[in-house]
Amino acid sequence: MRIGRVLRTSAVVAAASLALAACGDDGGNGGEAGGEEGGVAEKSCEGGGDASVTIGTKFDQPGLGQKTPEGMDGFDIAVACYIAKQIHGDDVNVEWKEAPSAERENLLERGDVDMVVATYTINDERKQKIDFAGPYLLAHQDLLVRADYEEIKSEEDLKDASLKLCSVTGSTSAQNVKDDFAPNADLVEYGGYSECMTGLQNEAVDAVTTDNSILAGFASAEQYKDKFKLMNFNLSDEPYGVGIKKGETELRDQINAAIEKMVADGDWQKFFDTHLGPSGFKADTPTITEK
Amino acid sequence: MTVETSTAAMIKASEVNKFFGDLHVLKDINFEVPRGQVVVVLGPSGSGKSTLCRAINRLEPVNSGVIHVDGKELPKEGKALAALRADVGMVFQSFNLFAHKTIVDNVMLAPLKVRKQKKPEARESAMQLLERVGIADQSEKYPAQLSGGQQQRAAIARALAMRPKVMMFDEPTSALDPEMVQEVLDVMTNLAKEGMTMFVVTHEMGFARRAAHRVMFMADGEIVEDTTPDDFFTNPKSDRAKDFLSKILTH
Amino acid sequence: MVDDLAFLFDKYNVVAAFWVTVQLAVLSAIGSLIWGTALAAMRVSPVPIMRGFAAVYINAVRNTPLTVILVGSSLGLWQTLGVTLAGERATEVNFRLAILGLVAYTSCFVCESLRSGINTVHVGQAEAARALGLNFGQVLGRIVLPQAFRSVIGPLASVLIALTKNTTIAAAISVAEAAALMKTMVENEAHLLFLVTVIFAFGFVFLTLPTGLILGWVSKKVAVKR
Ligand SMILES: Nc1ncnc2c1ncn2[C@@H]1O[C@H](COP(=O)(O)OP(=O)(O)OP(=O)(O)O)[C@@H](O)[C@H]1O
Ligand SMILES: [Mg+2]
Repeated sequence: MRIGRVLRTSAVVAAASLALAACGDDGGNGGEAGGEEGGVAEKSCEGGGDASVTIGTKFDQPGLGQKTPEGMDGFDIAVACYIAKQIHGDDVNVEWKEAPSAERENLLERGDVDMVVATYTINDERKQKIDFAGPYLLAHQDLLVRADYEEIKSEEDLKDASLKLCSVTGSTSAQNVKDDFAPNADLVEYGGYSECMTGLQNEAVDAVTTDNSILAGFASAEQYKDKFKLMNFNLSDEPYGVGIKKGETELRDQINAAIEKMVADGDWQKFFDTHLGPSGFKADTPTITEK
Repeated sequence: MTVETSTAAMIKASEVNKFFGDLHVLKDINFEVPRGQVVVVLGPSGSGKSTLCRAINRLEPVNSGVIHVDGKELPKEGKALAALRADVGMVFQSFNLFAHKTIVDNVMLAPLKVRKQKKPEARESAMQLLERVGIADQSEKYPAQLSGGQQQRAAIARALAMRPKVMMFDEPTSALDPEMVQEVLDVMTNLAKEGMTMFVVTHEMGFARRAAHRVMFMADGEIVEDTTPDDFFTNPKSDRAKDFLSKILTH
Repeated sequence: MVDDLAFLFDKYNVVAAFWVTVQLAVLSAIGSLIWGTALAAMRVSPVPIMRGFAAVYINAVRNTPLTVILVGSSLGLWQTLGVTLAGERATEVNFRLAILGLVAYTSCFVCESLRSGINTVHVGQAEAARALGLNFGQVLGRIVLPQAFRSVIGPLASVLIALTKNTTIAAAISVAEAAALMKTMVENEAHLLFLVTVIFAFGFVFLTLPTGLILGWVSKKVAVKR
């Protein structure tokens, strides 16, 4: 038990440090070619046709957008792939580019990517610089707790000052905790969610908080199965949209049509169940707002 | 000339051997220095004079043999060794004044930290000693601001401040410009007159003749001759001593 | 531009965040000087165990990325072993652990600077002190280290500047210093990314430039004449 803990902790320490080191590299070359770190960018949904499209996504978000040795994997990837095929045909070549949160607008404005599908919450500040299509998923900020944890029952319980919450440094979720629903809580902010997850396992924190989609992605991972549960609170609305260059209304309409088709023919539900379902996460099918 | 030892000798070395790697630097050294005696050690470069001098307060540990100071065997390390060193004054060729402290602070440091004297008391005796070696007016300066001769006199005052039982000098005038040699020798001569036990490595033949009771001549790590200055200079017995003297005196 | 600046300073407490950075840097600097000096003393001590310990410690810690040390102390010491350093709130605990980690890391560099300083002190200085009956601690503390320190104020200033910049890594373990606020601002004001970067770059220059200048001046003042 003790040894297990120590090993687990060491693994996360090593991983977290490597992740930070990788961020450093991105900074070095202006984040320009995050995807080219391992040589050529990853090519899942590679049709071999003439049409090619570059999509920015997360490379490190389990269940949503993750780069694995077998290729790209996650709900965002599946959605992006579906949209690309709808627009450019089944044999489209998708080139994946890493889109860290702070880089997403820049990637679009510079034309480095054609679209961004990367847990990208639609909001007005962002719309000053870019346009959105979608949303393709309506996420909410939520809490992930240990499966046997009973201290928190309702959102009211979050006012308790002894509550230890964990989130990522500077993230919108962390700010919501401080400014909004749990200003008194003891908030721990780490560089990544992996550190929060070990904290949750080690009982150093009571709950991890961020978008339920992200939490579901972690909780759906093999090693965490059945250990955690989502509280299913609705602490904020996070409609995930597809980011595109400002003024590309034709592309926006095409993407919206693709999303509607994906929902209508059941593929959306299939993707959702595969990548995010195992954690018991439920979400309604999305309604297009960005027209 | 012989000075009889009523009590234990001030310095006594028995069967002392010292190696630097394969180099046998001190070979079966045996001698005694009685209280109040001034011994001058002569010998060609590399003969082991400095090593012997440094062995006496264990700045250089020996490989075999025993050294006694004031009847006590040299302790190995720690408090006892520090206490012994406090009683043995040492003056170096390169002065070694503490570069970051003023002259008077150099002199006061060990009385304050080792003898635990009170500050006013330590300062007063420091100033007296500086007066005695003729540099009281330099007391607030830093070592680098003094001439070589002044620095060496300050170093002697620093050693004397501990009221040592014996003073060791390792070529105290070799690093000095010629015009400064005499002022240092004068201080040493006065010290000898006052009855201090002194062990002096030097090439100053004048000092040896004037102030020494005894000359030890070293060559190749051995004490080759051990006699009075008169006898040594007028009637050297060994070839090596004759050779050494002929080189020195033709200068 | 000016409007944007006013907006950012109005919405975010940049000064408070830098104040945390200053606290981290100052407390860690004090700790590193003390522990780094102790390590240097061990490295030159006559006791083989101490020399060995210091050598192993320095080579292990100096070659470990600071991120690993900080994340490791938060995840390992706090989460796994329950070390809290008498802090009650998690934020407090992590602040103290950050200082612990920064001290553990920076002291290696303080030690190595000092050791190079010790090497510039003439051996005759220590010999003269030993010959007067000073013990090892006194020789080191009164004679060798004061001279060594004076000769390495320049390199120590570099260590201090590096330390100030290294405090940004504490953001990874929940310390609300400048880099943490920068992350927040980047998250919210991605359209002002350039301005935000400039603010923080300038903030660090503002902290570190005087350190270098003042210590450079001090170094000249106290230099030992030989
Ligand atoms: N630390 C050391 N390591 C190795 N060899 C040494 C060391 N110190 C001295 N020696 C060697 O030991 C021998 C004796 O040296 P020592 O300094 O005692 O001679 P000396 O008689 O004082 O000579 P000088 O008149 O040149 O000062 C020399 O051959 C010298 O090279
Ligand atoms: Mg010599």
